[in-house]
Amino acid sequence: MMPTDSRYRHFYVARLKEAVVPKDKADLLQGTLDMLILKSLSLGELHGYGIIQRIRQLSDEMLNVEQGSLYPALYRIEQKGWVSARWDVHETGREAKFYKLTRSGRKQLETQEASWDRLVLAITKIRQATT
Amino acid sequence: MKWLNILRDRLRALRQRDDVIDDIDREMRSHLELQVEANIKSGMSPGEAREKAMRSFGNVSRAVDAAYDVKGGGLFETLAQDIRYGARVLLKHKAFTAVAVITLALGIGANTAIFSVVNELLLRPLPYRDADRIVMLWEVSPEGRHQNTTSRANFRAWREQSTSYQYMAAFSDQRFTLTGDGEPEEVSGQLALPEIFKVLGVDPILGRTLLPEDAEPGKPPVVVLSYGLWQRRFGGQSGVIGKPILLNGVNRTIVGVMPPNFQFHIKQRSGTGRPAELWTTLPMPAGTIESDRGRFLSVAARLKDGVTPEHAAAELRTIQARLSDEAPQFNKNFSGEILPLREQFFGNVRRPLWLMLGAVGFVLLIACANVANLLLSLATSREKEIALRAALGARRSRIVRQLLTESLLLALLGSVLGLGFAWLGIKALMLIAPRDLLGLQSVGLNFSVLLWTLGVSVLTGIIFGLAPALHISRLNLNDSLKEGGKAESGQASGSRRLRSVLVVSEIALAVVLLASAGLLIKSFIRLQQVDRGFDTQNVISMVVRLPFARYREDAQLVAFFNQAMERLQRLPGVRSAGMVNFLPLYGGLGSSTAFKIMGRPEPPPGQEPGTDVRVVDAGYFQTMGIPLLRGRNFSDVELREAKRVILINEALARKYFPNEEPIGQRLDVAMFETPVITEIVGVVGNVRYDSLIDEAPPAVYFPHPELAYPFMTFVLRTDGDPAAIAPAVQREIRALDPNQPISDVRTMEQVMSEAVSRSRFNTLLLALFAGLATLLSAVGIFGVMNYSVALRTREIGLRLAIGAQPRQVLLLVLRQGLLLTVIGLVLGLGASLALTRLLSGLLFGVTAVDASTFATISLLLVLVSLLACYLPARRAMRIDPMLALRYE
Repeated sequence: MMPTDSRYRHFYVARLKEAVVPKDKADLLQGTLDMLILKSLSLGELHGYGIIQRIRQLSDEMLNVEQGSLYPALYRIEQKGWVSARWDVHETGREAKFYKLTRSGRKQLETQEASWDRLVLAITKIRQATT
Repeated sequence: MKWLNILRDRLRALRQRDDVIDDIDREMRSHLELQVEANIKSGMSPGEAREKAMRSFGNVSRAVDAAYDVKGGGLFETLAQDIRYGARVLLKHKAFTAVAVITLALGIGANTAIFSVVNELLLRPLPYRDADRIVMLWEVSPEGRHQNTTSRANFRAWREQSTSYQYMAAFSDQRFTLTGDGEPEEVSGQLALPEIFKVLGVDPILGRTLLPEDAEPGKPPVVVLSYGLWQRRFGGQSGVIGKPILLNGVNRTIVGVMPPNFQFHIKQRSGTGRPAELWTTLPMPAGTIESDRGRFLSVAARLKDGVTPEHAAAELRTIQARLSDEAPQFNKNFSGEILPLREQFFGNVRRPLWLMLGAVGFVLLIACANVANLLLSLATSREKEIALRAALGARRSRIVRQLLTESLLLALLGSVLGLGFAWLGIKALMLIAPRDLLGLQSVGLNFSVLLWTLGVSVLTGIIFGLAPALHISRLNLNDSLKEGGKAESGQASGSRRLRSVLVVSEIALAVVLLASAGLLIKSFIRLQQVDRGFDTQNVISMVVRLPFARYREDAQLVAFFNQAMERLQRLPGVRSAGMVNFLPLYGGLGSSTAFKIMGRPEPPPGQEPGTDVRVVDAGYFQTMGIPLLRGRNFSDVELREAKRVILINEALARKYFPNEEPIGQRLDVAMFETPVITEIVGVVGNVRYDSLIDEAPPAVYFPHPELAYPFMTFVLRTDGDPAAIAPAVQREIRALDPNQPISDVRTMEQVMSEAVSRSRFNTLLLALFAGLATLLSAVGIFGVMNYSVALRTREIGLRLAIGAQPRQVLLLVLRQGLLLTVIGLVLGLGASLALTRLLSGLLFGVTAVDASTFATISLLLVLVSLLACYLPARRAMRIDPMLALRYE
């Protein structure tokens, strides 16, 4: 797989995260995106388009996830068993594939949120110390 | 759960690639439509809305691809990529690839060759129906001799009193002289009861097998032919059924032909030592217990369903105990035993074969360690490339997979070449294999062997690939990118440790093999040095067997053999000639005959002393170089008429006449139907008749007129090459009787060579494997030391610059190599102490922990490893300090 631009952007975050949780670096972007997807699904069943919309709404239009990133992440999450998918008819009468958080997905979301909070706290502390 | 999901998706992707892509495609389109609708809602025109949506969606096909990749379809695409890339890497490093592939091919080839033998002899079903139900029944003599033939009387009792068997059949091998069309020929045949074919579960391809009514008196004698004999003598004509064939001067009717691969040759107690080429009815006349007491029958049987060999053996022992009570004069203390057919055929080669498989396993492990070492050095030089891939986002698992693909590729290449080596190896094995390894002719590269090779190569690929792959994937990106993998970083020293561990293990494994080979070589030498009691130089032997139809009377036999001897002794180039019924180390009755010493109290039944019995003429001793120790040889008269005299060997004299003069003593040797008293006229030297390993048993020699045999083995000592005399001998025999063939022409050197062939086979193989192991570990040490010197170039340069002598540098490197060697040596010797015990059955005249052998191989190994270290050490010594310091 060729590296995408967003991966370079997140490479620095990766270095940061390494300081806190030394883990596989390249997985960080996915981890973050996974968390956002899980979060958006925690409020109810959604299709892919709806997930993007919800992330945009919740972030006050600051985060815009591209389809090209969303679907691979979504399928990966589905494989891990954190979400389940089914085809259904949308309220507009069109068919769409709906995703729903599973029990293990909910647990995963909690873990990810907790470690994210720790990371943010750590970064904040460092920033305050240097200013 | 997670794994199940992934597996399910991957399998689905594999099966229904198009379905998966369709599903993704459908989802993408649905997404696009939702976007378009949202755009229209926000006030765009439909055209504008679609255009905008398309643009925001980006490249749809790429999104589908990326999604498909996740769904698992990518697995095979990346595999193809990995293989392409791996092939390019291997092509780029040609020297590395060549060394690695050859190393692996040697290991895999040796493994495949040995496995194909193991598979053929120990694993493949025997060519009989439900062969695991077939067993052999034997007696065990009071002296504890196993696999003894039984008598007609006892066989009848077994058949009537046992309940364990579906069918039971007795048989006995015998040679026949085949005359008529073409050259007179000696063929081996089996006299058998008709049930033998039911026991074995084999049907004829032509006609029928034997029937019970064939044995009825007055019926014409019949014969069943082997496929080979049918082809050879009758050109494979189907009209052969009902035709006559002249055997031992008697016409028999051919009633059937057996299939091509059918043979049933039980070497133990076979009177012919050759697989039977024809079958004819074993006469079982109703007789008395007296007339049926002769022990000459081998017995095979098919177990009933559900009956175990153990149960059958217990039953047989019970019957034997009963027979012992009923007829103690014949059966006292004779027990019984059951051998499953595979055990019968290959019981004695099972252990050596598994040992050999273990040994080649060691060789393969060493080869793996070597290739792992090579891969490590290759990986080290590729650190920068791999670090770059990691930095560009390749995941660890992805890199490990790439490296493993490369090593599997290597392993597969190695196994292809290895199959070639194995093919050659099997050819070579057949050349050096002992003649009596029945079934070895059909060893080859069949399907299960190929499967084994594939399994071995995949396993080796993972073994030698995993360590370097895991190691390299743990690289610290930053250091590697900055330093380009040149200097000795933390990783490099870790890799050096890993390499040292690999080399030490290689040496330890090689030591075990060397120690085992050393012990076998020493045994083999001891076996050759054994005082066998006769001289083989320039002696040739051949068998002459006179057919009963033309030589019915003892006097005819005696006259023929005496005339033949006179002619042969006069042949130019013949120094002396003699004859014996059974040659040393070459079959024979192998049984112990009871005898009584006249004038001593009679021992209780079953406890009479036993002796080996041979029938000879006077020339035998001189020709074979057996010394006359006391008394005299047989006189001319004694070789024409039965004068009731015998010679004994030294062992009998020592055992039974320790403080008496044996000459003039009289013995009753139970070779005759009525007691015959014979007088000892001389004592000759001991000869190891049965095997080189066993001490010579007591032996009695009868002059041939006293115990006329229908066949004799002629021995001739010649001035020059003994083999050259054979045609002249054949001419002389033909001159006496034009229908008389000679057979089994072999020099005594050949007989000796065959007697030690199994020992030589084991020794040669193990020595070969040990040599290979040593060579491979030497290569391993060389590689590690060379790499170490390369890493330390700067340091060594610095040492030289500040005044170290080249000699000190040399010692520095040698010391390091020697340290690895000594650690490996100590570990290997420890392992050998535990493992060479497994060899104990194969050793002769040496213990499994022979100190001098261990010392010799240790010295050898140290020398080899010093040699392997010397080249890198010399390189280190010649480092130019200025260049080294400027390096980098």
